[in-house]
Amino acid sequence: MIGIEIEAVSHGYRARAGAGMVALDNINLSIPANQFHALLGPSGCGKSTLLFLIGGFQTLQQGRIRTARGAVTGPGPDRGIVFQNFALFPWKTVMENVRYGLEKKGVRGAEAEQRAKHFIDLVHLTGFERSYPSQLSGGMQQRAAIARTLAIDPDILLMDEPFGALDAQTRRIMQEELLSIWRATQKTVVFVTHDVAEAVFLADEISVMSARPGRISRRVQADFNRSSDKNVHKRADFAEMVETVWEMVRSEVDEARGH
Amino acid sequence: MARVTSWLLRASPVFVLLAIWAGVADAHVINPFLLPPVEQVVLRLGQDVASGDFFVNAGLTLARSLAGFALACGIGIPAGVLIARGRVLRWFCEPLVSVGFPMPKIAFLPVFMLWFGVYDLSKVIMVAFAAVFTVVVAAEAGTRGVDRFLLWSARGLGASPFAMLREVVWPAAMPSFLTGMQIALPMSLITAVSAEMLMGGEGLGGAMLSAGQYADSVGVYAGIVETSLVGLVAVAGMTRLRRRLLRWHPEFNPR
Amino acid sequence: MRALLAYLPLAIVALLWEATSRLGLISAHVLPSFSAVIEALWQLARGGDLLANGEASLGRSLLGFGLALACGTALGAGMALVPWVRSAVDPIVQIFYPLPKSALIPLVLVWFGIGDASKVFLVFLGCLLPMILSTYNGLRGVDPLLGWSARSLGASRLEVIAEVLFPAALPQLLTGVRTTIAFMFLLMVASELVIASNGLGFMIGSFGDQGSYAEMFAVILLVTALGFLADRGFLLLSDRLLRWRA
Repeated sequence: MIGIEIEAVSHGYRARAGAGMVALDNINLSIPANQFHALLGPSGCGKSTLLFLIGGFQTLQQGRIRTARGAVTGPGPDRGIVFQNFALFPWKTVMENVRYGLEKKGVRGAEAEQRAKHFIDLVHLTGFERSYPSQLSGGMQQRAAIARTLAIDPDILLMDEPFGALDAQTRRIMQEELLSIWRATQKTVVFVTHDVAEAVFLADEISVMSARPGRISRRVQADFNRSSDKNVHKRADFAEMVETVWEMVRSEVDEARGH
Repeated sequence: MARVTSWLLRASPVFVLLAIWAGVADAHVINPFLLPPVEQVVLRLGQDVASGDFFVNAGLTLARSLAGFALACGIGIPAGVLIARGRVLRWFCEPLVSVGFPMPKIAFLPVFMLWFGVYDLSKVIMVAFAAVFTVVVAAEAGTRGVDRFLLWSARGLGASPFAMLREVVWPAAMPSFLTGMQIALPMSLITAVSAEMLMGGEGLGGAMLSAGQYADSVGVYAGIVETSLVGLVAVAGMTRLRRRLLRWHPEFNPR
Repeated sequence: MRALLAYLPLAIVALLWEATSRLGLISAHVLPSFSAVIEALWQLARGGDLLANGEASLGRSLLGFGLALACGTALGAGMALVPWVRSAVDPIVQIFYPLPKSALIPLVLVWFGIGDASKVFLVFLGCLLPMILSTYNGLRGVDPLLGWSARSLGASRLEVIAEVLFPAALPQLLTGVRTTIAFMFLLMVASELVIASNGLGFMIGSFGDQGSYAEMFAVILLVTALGFLADRGFLLLSDRLLRWRA
């Protein structure tokens, strides 16, 4: 079952000085359904651009992107997105934020309230339904954003460095919670990050990307996310894989710098 | 070459507007008294420049604005700094400023005419009065907003309180001072023109009012163009000044 | 209690004012005593003159203000959301931005004479530009990711404009309205000092001409108070609407 099919996608930007910049160069990627797929790479490698193209927020210049529902032509509730800066609607309470997608789908009143509550509980924000985003910590805001996206039950979950704005401790906790949610809901996840340990911990498969132009240079399989071991991070094989993948990323960074 | 094109691009709104104006006037849709043809206004502009009237009027208005503006800054900036640093002074001035800020200060013009006569002095004082509130608020906010880590660093490096005021607070608050001044300058012009209209006589405001009273619509339009020009020059001058004084600021050194 | 303490300086100023007049430090001709001004204000209010002129002034100004609010928001939104509207309106905005609004007084005099229409139109024109600009800047300044989130949650483009862009731009819009209110009072007084036969500004001018300085100061005081109350009232409203802010 195909989750996401990316074929020959290239994307460029015209910089101000006149010279163009190639953000993505001939990306070919096939992500099976229900896979947790990480896009890993240094800044400027185009990983976020690829994510936005899958989400339909930017128009494809070259190539095709398809999901089980057909070709991607624009944004839609089958591909939910979570951003690094949370992008919660600041004038709405947590409950109102989470209900938003449901109301767009035509779910109203008590049913919307109930369904939203289920997801608010799922992300451990019970009791904060009537709070405004400005009253919540970063971690809590991100949970609310995740709940909002999960509430519409998208096939695919797109996440753009969602824990990047959080402190290290919160980040670890959120990673663990995300995994348990993923295991329970079995969605296809595309997760953008520059943090190697995070990618190794969370993903089934990691696409290591290079910068300028953006290409997928390596693909790595991992299965640490299936382990129920609470101390995965301490294991030798985990540390080894992180080192190996880090070397891959580092060589890309060095190449980009011209070493 | 590139500079000329960029200037042309920026001035293009003017050309577009002139084209629309010419088109509408030509189409005879609007009474030529209400909207005289462009050529007549341009002609009048030329006459004003040739006869020197433009320079006399613009010069007077500008002089009064700048004098009042300078007075407002000379009083307002030190006042703002002092208010930021003195608790009692701040308590005393806060309601005065918050009442004064939204106040239509032009209402005080008859008072200033009563106190200072009907010549230049009253106009200058009026302009200063109108502008000072903005300057005080900006200066106070700027002084208060100086990053305390900057101050602590300076203290740790052995600076005396007076030196700190001059060498840390002043430059750090400068962007806010300049923003306040950038708002106060057009305000000064508006007030000067209004005062002149009220009191008559020479100056752009007085000239325009006479034109209005004598139903000289071409004169009124010419006056508007002349006033816009003066406004434009003043605003551009202020922007230049800001760039010069804040050369070091991240605002002008984007990453 | 705290509010009383905060406004105490005003009372102190009033006392000083009264004291300097009583002590004869300043002649009553130049500055009538505070009590004399209050007395004059009271008499004017009782006489009904104040109410009639106040209604005239505020009626005209609020009409111009309301029109500017509606048109300015519409135009600003159009400029922010529809490219060709922006190209069409931008030149006009650019030209009139540095123009002192009071320069328009002789123009409306030519167009509409000295009646009500000229003042309504003047307030309209003067308030239009700040409204257009703050609406435009407010809408443009909205984080695009908010719109993207809404789209991915199933919102249509129209829903994004109505349900995301406008609420997100509200803080800046309200700041623009606050400035516009101050402009309204300014233009109201300025126009009535120059071309009017009634209204509060007109009263200030004619009392000054007649030499009735206590009455003149009384109306100035009233206008100042009105401007202040309008500003405060609007701030309260804003705070209510923007409860969700940090």
